[in-house]
Amino acid sequence: MTKTLTFSALCCLLAAPALAQDKTLTISTYSFAQDAYKEALYDPFEAICDCELVIETGNSVERMSKIEANANDPVIDMAVISSHDALALARKDLLAPLDVASIPNHAKLYEAAKDPLGGHMAVGYTFYASSIVYRTDLVEIDSWADLLDEKLAGNVSLPNIIGTQGPLTLMMLGKAAGEESADYKAVISDIGAHADDIVTFYSRSSELAQLMNQEEVIAAPVGRFAWSRFKSSPLPFAWAEPAEGQAGGMNVMIMTKGNGNEELAYQFMDFWLSTEVQTRIAEALIDSPANAEVVVSEEVADNLTYGAELINSLNILPPAEIIDNREAWVEQWNNEVIR
Amino acid sequence: MFSSTREGLALALPAAIFALLLFIVPVGILLSEAFQSDTGWTLQGYVDFFAKPLNQTVFLRTLKLGVLVAGTAAVIGYAAAFSISNLSPVARGRVFGLIILPLMISPVARTYAWIVILGRTGIVNDAIIGLGLSETPIRLLFTETAVFLGLLQLFMPLMIISLLSAMENIPRDVIPAARVLGASWFQVFFKVILPLTKEGLVVGGTLVFTGALTAYITPAILGGSKVLMLETLLYQRVNVANDFVSASVIAMILIVMSFAANLLLKRIATARK
Amino acid sequence: MKNLTAWAIIGATLTFLIGPFIIIIFAGASAGEALAFPPDGLSLRWYLKVFTIESFRQSFVLSMGLAVFGTLAALLLGVPAAYALNRYDLPGAETIRTIVASPIIVPGIIVGLALLRYLVIPLNFTVTMALFLAHTALVLPYAVRVVSSSLNNLRSDMEEAAVLLGCSRVQAFTKVVLPNIRGGVLAAFILGFVTSFNQVPVSLFLSGPGVRTLPIDMLAYMEITYDPSVAALSALLAFMSLAIVFVAERLLGFSRYV
Repeated sequence: MTKTLTFSALCCLLAAPALAQDKTLTISTYSFAQDAYKEALYDPFEAICDCELVIETGNSVERMSKIEANANDPVIDMAVISSHDALALARKDLLAPLDVASIPNHAKLYEAAKDPLGGHMAVGYTFYASSIVYRTDLVEIDSWADLLDEKLAGNVSLPNIIGTQGPLTLMMLGKAAGEESADYKAVISDIGAHADDIVTFYSRSSELAQLMNQEEVIAAPVGRFAWSRFKSSPLPFAWAEPAEGQAGGMNVMIMTKGNGNEELAYQFMDFWLSTEVQTRIAEALIDSPANAEVVVSEEVADNLTYGAELINSLNILPPAEIIDNREAWVEQWNNEVIR
Repeated sequence: MFSSTREGLALALPAAIFALLLFIVPVGILLSEAFQSDTGWTLQGYVDFFAKPLNQTVFLRTLKLGVLVAGTAAVIGYAAAFSISNLSPVARGRVFGLIILPLMISPVARTYAWIVILGRTGIVNDAIIGLGLSETPIRLLFTETAVFLGLLQLFMPLMIISLLSAMENIPRDVIPAARVLGASWFQVFFKVILPLTKEGLVVGGTLVFTGALTAYITPAILGGSKVLMLETLLYQRVNVANDFVSASVIAMILIVMSFAANLLLKRIATARK
Repeated sequence: MKNLTAWAIIGATLTFLIGPFIIIIFAGASAGEALAFPPDGLSLRWYLKVFTIESFRQSFVLSMGLAVFGTLAALLLGVPAAYALNRYDLPGAETIRTIVASPIIVPGIIVGLALLRYLVIPLNFTVTMALFLAHTALVLPYAVRVVSSSLNNLRSDMEEAAVLLGCSRVQAFTKVVLPNIRGGVLAAFILGFVTSFNQVPVSLFLSGPGVRTLPIDMLAYMEITYDPSVAALSALLAFMSLAIVFVAERLLGFSRYV
């Protein structure tokens, strides 16, 4: 109760400057690349909607607790978030099902993005592939299993289990080992047995890029959105195409339940999903498009997760598996891997 | 000593009330969260916390690093502060400026510098290989050694400043006098310098130990997820799992450890009177 | 000979303390894209880039204001308290000392969280105001302790004599005590300023749109890229502080009080 009160008061506080405007839309988003979003998305939208956008940023835990704390009187109208975080919110009955008729550009999306959670609780706006970046002059990578192989001992980094990339790595290691069950018990134990061979469990792709550029690490799984950092390095990095394929994930848009600002929120979602805006955001190398009609140059495409063939081939970990198992993964991870 | 109690309280109470209302009350409420359950008061949060092997390891590691950092800082700090206090005033001012300089650099960047220094291709490994001490680069990053060095560099200036400030009060002729009278440096230190600077050591020791316990950025960047300390564990629990009970337990442990260190140092200081 | 030993100790200590700073200066002057030492060629582009980043400018102003005014407020509260604790026979002096010292031993993350949840929000303060109060509270222990330490060995008979000779208590304080503890007060100010300016964990939770302290902003920047501009900014901040210490030395003869 106290928590609810404090958080709602906080939101009033934060939103206060916006109240002066007649029409405002409050969105909650990742803090990354805000300058680029402003140019490609926010400013053009404000120019056509005759409204003011209020942007709240933060990490997903903060943003989710804000949405939860204000369930009775939502401050956030729409949010962009990972698909499993969206499912967690949907299970708590905090989201409104989307009326896709109000989002004409919805029809242009890749199939996988149209209704990733079922019941139209969310719609995907960007995909990312995830594979292994490695030093071509030092090692060869053909399989996800190579990550724990002798040849990389002492020179490999894995993503931390608590980030988005961690579970994807578990899934692919599981696939390589032929483990089907989503508890990944054997995979985590295997990582634990090799813990001394792993330089560190990184949390941010910027951190990994630095480690790989100073030759601390020669191979690690990472999201495609970080690829440009490796590509521009003087060291010979390559993007692996392992036998098990690439992993993938999706970020989605959601609508908070009963926010009273649905019309404007739909208008904004539709604008964001339009071919024009998705192209602009893709060309700025921020997000890979979920709109199948987006066409970009080969050079731009190389930095993104782009094209029907690639997107349809991605191994996507079902959001439900992540939220159902995450607690157990972290528990086992803490006991066996970082001890 | 002035006797007017009312006057003294009027001077001291604003600060105390400010700290009480802004600090002790809100933090107290947060700490009490670990003792609350649906059915009343409980110690279950603490029992659960210490039942996990990871938490035990992290607790012991934090204690160990805190003691090592504070102890090393005190030893180097005394040598440095004493050397500095004997300089000419102009040189002393310049050296003092250099000592506090690292304090002005954001801990983010200071810690980050160590990634470059301690890396496989960093200058420390270059030196080790150049001197023939090892054929291949030694892993330094993401080890307790890295965290120790980072914390020591981060907090040693606080120790030196505290000791220098206390050495201000050593009368200039006391040490030469003791030496003339035949005291060894060892005796001078324990009989003259230490008693006269114990206030500084208590301040410095508490600042460094507490700083090392509650630093977040250094263990996060230099230790990563493989060398968790209580503060990074706390952050992980709050930020990943919204686990306020563990956060509250860890906060209590850190506070108790800091208080204990402060009391212990004070006790040692009074015992030497 | 004795001097040589002293300088060797000072030299080694300074190398350890300042070495990383030198590396940061050069890493910030790299011509390459990534932070590295030795740098990948030299250029000033990252130093120039720092000034073009709007959020750094905003957060610098905020952090500067918080550090200066928060520390002044803490001294305003802390110096009288330190004086009272040293010179008066107070009931509960130990309790007061502990209360005043408490902000230093509470982990920053918990402080930020506690202030946010139980203090700031119910009382409807702005984020900036909350930051100011939090930073004042954080600096308070430094102010009290450092000034106390300085007062501790300053004999009280001088001010008693001043009072006997007809000074008021206030005059005795400003004319006799204050000049003698100037070094301590200045050390407390610098320590407080630094603590406040570099504070990360408390400010982590106390931020809002457009209200972010500089270290938090630097961290946020590093979440996106580790490019050398953060190193360049750190070097610039350090030069700024060097200038402050230099001016303090020139104007106040700072080192005489150390």
